[in-house]
Amino acid sequence: MRKLLIKLAACLSFSLFSATAMAAEAGLTLPNDKLPRLSGDYLEVSMQRGMQIYVNNCLGCHALAFHRYERSATDLGIPTDVMMENMIFSDDKIGDLMTNNMNAKAAANWFGAAPPDLSVVARARGTKWLYNYFRGFYVDDSRPYGVNNSVFKDVGMPHVLEEMQGLQAKTDQVKNLENEISYAQADMANAKKQLEEGGNSSALNKTIREAEAVISEAETKLTEISEAGKYFEIVKEGQLSPQEFDDAMRDLTYFLEYVGEPIKRDRERLGVWVLLFITFFGFVAYLLKKEYWKDIH
Amino acid sequence: MSRMASFMQWIDDRFPATKVWNEHLAEYYAPKNFNFWYFFGSLALLVLVNQILTGIWLTMNYNPSGEQAYASVEFIMRDVDWGWLLRYMHSTGASAFFVVVYLHMFRALIYGSFRKPRELVWLFGMIIFVLLMAEAFMGYLLPWGNMSYWGAQVIINLFSAVPYVGDDLTQWIRGDYIISGATLNRFFALHVVALPMALLLMVFLHIVALHKVGSNNPDGIEIKKYKDENGIPLDGIPFHPYYTVKDIVGVAVFLFFFCLIIFFAPDMGGFFLEPPNFTPADPLKTPAHIAPVWYFTPFYSILRAVPDQQLGVVAMAASLIVLFFLPWLDRSKVKSIRYKHWSFKVWLAIFVVSFIILGYLGMKGPTPMRTLVAQICTVYYFAFFFLMPWWSQWGETKPVPERVTH
Repeated sequence: MRKLLIKLAACLSFSLFSATAMAAEAGLTLPNDKLPRLSGDYLEVSMQRGMQIYVNNCLGCHALAFHRYERSATDLGIPTDVMMENMIFSDDKIGDLMTNNMNAKAAANWFGAAPPDLSVVARARGTKWLYNYFRGFYVDDSRPYGVNNSVFKDVGMPHVLEEMQGLQAKTDQVKNLENEISYAQADMANAKKQLEEGGNSSALNKTIREAEAVISEAETKLTEISEAGKYFEIVKEGQLSPQEFDDAMRDLTYFLEYVGEPIKRDRERLGVWVLLFITFFGFVAYLLKKEYWKDIH
Repeated sequence: MSRMASFMQWIDDRFPATKVWNEHLAEYYAPKNFNFWYFFGSLALLVLVNQILTGIWLTMNYNPSGEQAYASVEFIMRDVDWGWLLRYMHSTGASAFFVVVYLHMFRALIYGSFRKPRELVWLFGMIIFVLLMAEAFMGYLLPWGNMSYWGAQVIINLFSAVPYVGDDLTQWIRGDYIISGATLNRFFALHVVALPMALLLMVFLHIVALHKVGSNNPDGIEIKKYKDENGIPLDGIPFHPYYTVKDIVGVAVFLFFFCLIIFFAPDMGGFFLEPPNFTPADPLKTPAHIAPVWYFTPFYSILRAVPDQQLGVVAMAASLIVLFFLPWLDRSKVKSIRYKHWSFKVWLAIFVVSFIILGYLGMKGPTPMRTLVAQICTVYYFAFFFLMPWWSQWGETKPVPERVTH
């Protein structure tokens, strides 16, 4: 019995441990920075600016077809006339949905896939992913638009914000480490294949272990480099400094988070009152119960 | 006679209003020693009412077509006044339903509430559980997100394991060669009309059967054994007002946590609303990892634990069917965990742990080690039930009191 329990515990901890191994299999994506936190008026201003960036750079291709201009105006404190003059470029009315005239078929032809609607992208991908994705475009001459994205590999999208950010490239150190990883992965795959075909198991297992060690060491280094902000280097200056660009992408992320669920801030405000009421109601209900149950106990 | 009383008399001459009220509430005698575990029956009823009411209002704005379903949910979330609240109450309610039902069933397990003479109460309850699973599964297709689509794909394909007619059967269920608007339409009809009616009927039967035999209690003894001169059980108290006021306290505690989720974490970190479901259904784009919602995962794990697909489906079906036989599998001399041999606690504890592990593994992608763990837990799940006729008779039971304790 006890032995069985110990075995069970061992198996369980093993399977939990392999959860981290799974995450690594999916591949390390960098940068993996946290979205800087904002609250109150700072958050509202950030969302306003995010919307400005969105309508100027993104809306042409990516509709927000479930969301209305007017809702943003109300929720983000943007006066109607300011919204009409600065945010709506077509002959849309303030109450209209934030659609565009992108022809999905043609777009699929240009980019490989039609640019998706982004109304709820923040809920599908998460804000952290978006924040890093926006900051993940880098020079890659092998791609049709000359850029790739380190968070969304081989994405069909060009670097739309190049004017703002300029162009960045992976540093030589990063490239070397990533090469190391891909060689080690190739070694590992090769060894695993040979193992399946019945090769010398002790030697092959050693190769696999060594490759794993190389990969994990290189990934640790890459993470450190990324955390120090040295994953990319600017190869062509843009209008904004790196810090200013990061701030702008933070704002864009907060705007998309807002569009993903416009009611979010209101429901959290309301929720506090609801919980207070239920607590009070529960207290009264408890007193009532006590009163009735006096004759039972 | 006052005006009110004469009005009631007028009604009672034509309809047994007072009689029903007395039989089921004011003069329904329940044991006075109900504890924490006895809140979940009334809470299940509360969640059922919540699902039906929010469901009715959601239907007013939802559009069950392949083209419009996804957009109409976002329309409810944004443009319908309080639509977001209705939707979150409904989606959180689905998970809450399973939370309270699992706890309700666990209560029956520890106090032997399915034992003679309550076998039919248990059977009706099991039918409710299976109907609830079907209801939840069909409801999950309606938002028409990508996880809705692929989740339904996986589950409907299980039916292809049926010999000879499998492929025709899945096509008959879908109403199409793939999951399409036709499937969505019929799932909508079943979700909002057929299954809720069946559920209501079974809940009615569940309660009628319960009130015929009377409630069990944590001591697992019959309170009807000792009655006073008026035929009222000495350890019984009228359900109303005593348990109605007590259950209201339970309702308040439940609502606190329910609203905490609705207002502060409606997607519950991906457990109640899965992130891939915020992408529209796409027959060409399979999500990286398809996992059913948490309340199905223990059974899904059992399915995957069996290497052969057909046998896996059989195992999963068996894991549900075996529950129906519980009243005849438990052969212990006593009903309640309080008086059973200590070995019952060990069997039960490992069962709970295995069930939770199966649930956890069902959410994760398979690895060889995880599959092995799932297999061990699956074997234990079945051993727990199949061997119950023997192990439930092991050891000495403690003496059972004549009257209820606290």
